[in-house]
Amino acid sequence: MGFWQRVSQLDRRWIYLAVALAVIFPLLVPMKMKLGITPEARQLYEAIETLPDSSVVMLTFDYYPSTVAETRPMSIAALHQMFRKNLKVITMTTIPLGGPSMADRTMKLMGDLYHKTYGVDYVNLGYKANYTAVLLGMGSSIESIYPSDQYGTPLANLPLMQTVKNYDQISFIFIVADNGIVDNWISIVNAQFSTPMGAGVTAVMAPKFYSYVQAKQMTGLLGGMKGAAEYEMLVNKPAMALIGMDSQSLAHLLIIGFVIAGNVAYFATRKKKESKG
Amino acid sequence: MKTKLPIAIAFLSGLAMVAVFILNPEKVGDMEGELLQWTTVIGGFTLLLGVVSIVRVNWRPVVRRETGWFNNAALLLSVAVMAIPSVLPVSWSPLFGTDGGSMYDWFFINLSAPMMATMFAMLAFYVASAAFRAFRARSAEATLLLLTATVVMLWRVPVGEGLFVAIHSKLPNLINTYVMGGVNVAVQRGIIIGAALGAAATSLRIMLGIERTYMGKT
Amino acid sequence: MRLARPVGLLLLLVLLLIPELLAANGASSVETGWFRTYRINAIIVAAVFSAAVLYYTQRARRGDKLFVRKIAGLDEVEDAVGRATEMGKPVLFIAGIDEIDKIDTLAGLSILGRVALITARYETPLYVPVRYPMVLAAAQEVVQQSYLTEGRADSYNQDMVCYVAGEQFAFTATVNGYMMRERPAANIMMGAFYAESLLLAETGNAAGSIQIAGTAQPEQLPFFIAACDYTLMGEELFAASAYLSHEPLMLGGLKGQDFMKVLIIAAILVGTFMVTTHLGGDWMRSLFEVR
Repeated sequence: MGFWQRVSQLDRRWIYLAVALAVIFPLLVPMKMKLGITPEARQLYEAIETLPDSSVVMLTFDYYPSTVAETRPMSIAALHQMFRKNLKVITMTTIPLGGPSMADRTMKLMGDLYHKTYGVDYVNLGYKANYTAVLLGMGSSIESIYPSDQYGTPLANLPLMQTVKNYDQISFIFIVADNGIVDNWISIVNAQFSTPMGAGVTAVMAPKFYSYVQAKQMTGLLGGMKGAAEYEMLVNKPAMALIGMDSQSLAHLLIIGFVIAGNVAYFATRKKKESKG
Repeated sequence: MKTKLPIAIAFLSGLAMVAVFILNPEKVGDMEGELLQWTTVIGGFTLLLGVVSIVRVNWRPVVRRETGWFNNAALLLSVAVMAIPSVLPVSWSPLFGTDGGSMYDWFFINLSAPMMATMFAMLAFYVASAAFRAFRARSAEATLLLLTATVVMLWRVPVGEGLFVAIHSKLPNLINTYVMGGVNVAVQRGIIIGAALGAAATSLRIMLGIERTYMGKT
Repeated sequence: MRLARPVGLLLLLVLLLIPELLAANGASSVETGWFRTYRINAIIVAAVFSAAVLYYTQRARRGDKLFVRKIAGLDEVEDAVGRATEMGKPVLFIAGIDEIDKIDTLAGLSILGRVALITARYETPLYVPVRYPMVLAAAQEVVQQSYLTEGRADSYNQDMVCYVAGEQFAFTATVNGYMMRERPAANIMMGAFYAESLLLAETGNAAGSIQIAGTAQPEQLPFFIAACDYTLMGEELFAASAYLSHEPLMLGGLKGQDFMKVLIIAAILVGTFMVTTHLGGDWMRSLFEVR
């Protein structure tokens, strides 16, 4: 078997090994590559940055534990900005499996870091079944959907929730999601209640939401780990996403290399077949 | 009756949701919320079906000691360990229930969540092998696909961005505007509109009883 | 069911509602009457769409020949099952990983019914893993009825359709394990898929299965196109049941969809012209807002 024929029939396990090495190497030897900011990420950052201090924002934890590598850095970077600006944050989740737990851990971590008081500076509403009813119901009354917060405290006993009754008192909704719930937020909340919103989504989903940003139904978009890294740069808190970009760079270059090699092998073996036949 | 009753229920349920979209909630109350709650309640009854199915399918290999029976036994043990403590009252022990500090929470955070993340991470390997196999310039369309994928893959990472900036400082923005914001948006919108029309037509056929295969009537 | 009357009634409703639309354009979303008049545009579009579907269904019923283009993936379904029969290997069918209230899942179940007819006829083993209990109940009913229709009630086994896991990646891991152990000759994946689409498709490719996939999730289509032999894109998934059955009533619905697409294209062209030439683009845009 010729060299190029061997390349075109390369065992996929060699590819997996190469990808593994490409991902691990930069974690051991950081390359600190310079990253550009997309207009969509900057748009989302500016939308939060221009809010008056003490405005109320909603941050959603609409992602499963499987995508934490891409989505959790977005939540953390967003909270850095929100707490720095002394914005009041209301969090909730439409994901029953892991959503409340991740929201709880992340909010406690960031709340302690910025010395924020639960109930005054932030509230965690938790999870309620039937997301369509939840999204719709919060438009008229948040308390009708969430009589109590994640920890069982009645909303009436939380100082922050005494001034926030529905979407009218919420200045911006920052959705962090890994599933189609973003479509529901836009079609139910933005369309019917005109609440401004932006989203951080996984890289696979990001191309779909460019149309919403263009149609001005969304203000800004973060896509995947790169989006999270851009936001970390914007809030000046480099963390896991920026570290991960080196690995992603090398992995992408490797895939492009494999694609080129595969095509060269394809043409070389095709030429050989044609000259034989 | 066996055929007409389910079709009638499907029609009336669909009509109710359409009516809820049109009618003023101030006059009819929260009909939409009520109807959506019904779907959750009905779904709850079918949970038992799932548990019975999973136990029946996996119990047989364990009893008969078929090849790999220990995997089936591990599955049944996992179901028991996760489900039983989580439904027991917290008042009996802080290990019960689903709150932080419970067995359920510990297993979820330390076993289930990392396993979910690992499965998702496997996509990186699979993307590489799928790209190596599929991105061949066999035709003009395939070549266009290959070139666009390469450009977008480079654009999404710092090293590629640096390369594009070296060619022309505005190149990354041009790619964002014309590839992601131009061609990509047009295609996404086209597919979404087509799929939405297809979904609406299928819904209408189901409501009118023209489409009945989903309920077992061929 | 006589369709001419409903078609006529719907068209009449549309004509009567047009003045309301013109009056309600710009109306506030605070309503005092029984109807949400600010949604009149959605009602008109729905009425026109329904009328179109019913009209073409009526025409199909009368015996008019309706042209539907070839969909390669659907033509290959029977061949794929035949391949599985020859090889003595099972057919794996996945009706998506979403709940039964998603229209994609219902479309997948409709296709499952057609595929089960073929597997019953050829006595090919069929395996249908599901992620939700409600889908389990529906899928078992669909497969059982198909086997009964083909007169192969004895070949039907309730465990052909089984609930494997409620979590997305637990489901994927189980199905991947099945693919690598049993090496099904044909994988048919029709329904709503998310991040696991490439995991399933690539594992199926590694197992040497012929793969036919269809989904209406645009972000998953590239993965299926890269890893599967045939892919149904977007509305082709919803057309599958009509295409496989060749029933005139179902094909009529496809033509109704095409009519609406023509109207949408016309609206896009007119709207683009109006916005570009500043001839009332805002009014045109507000006509299509749904509050």
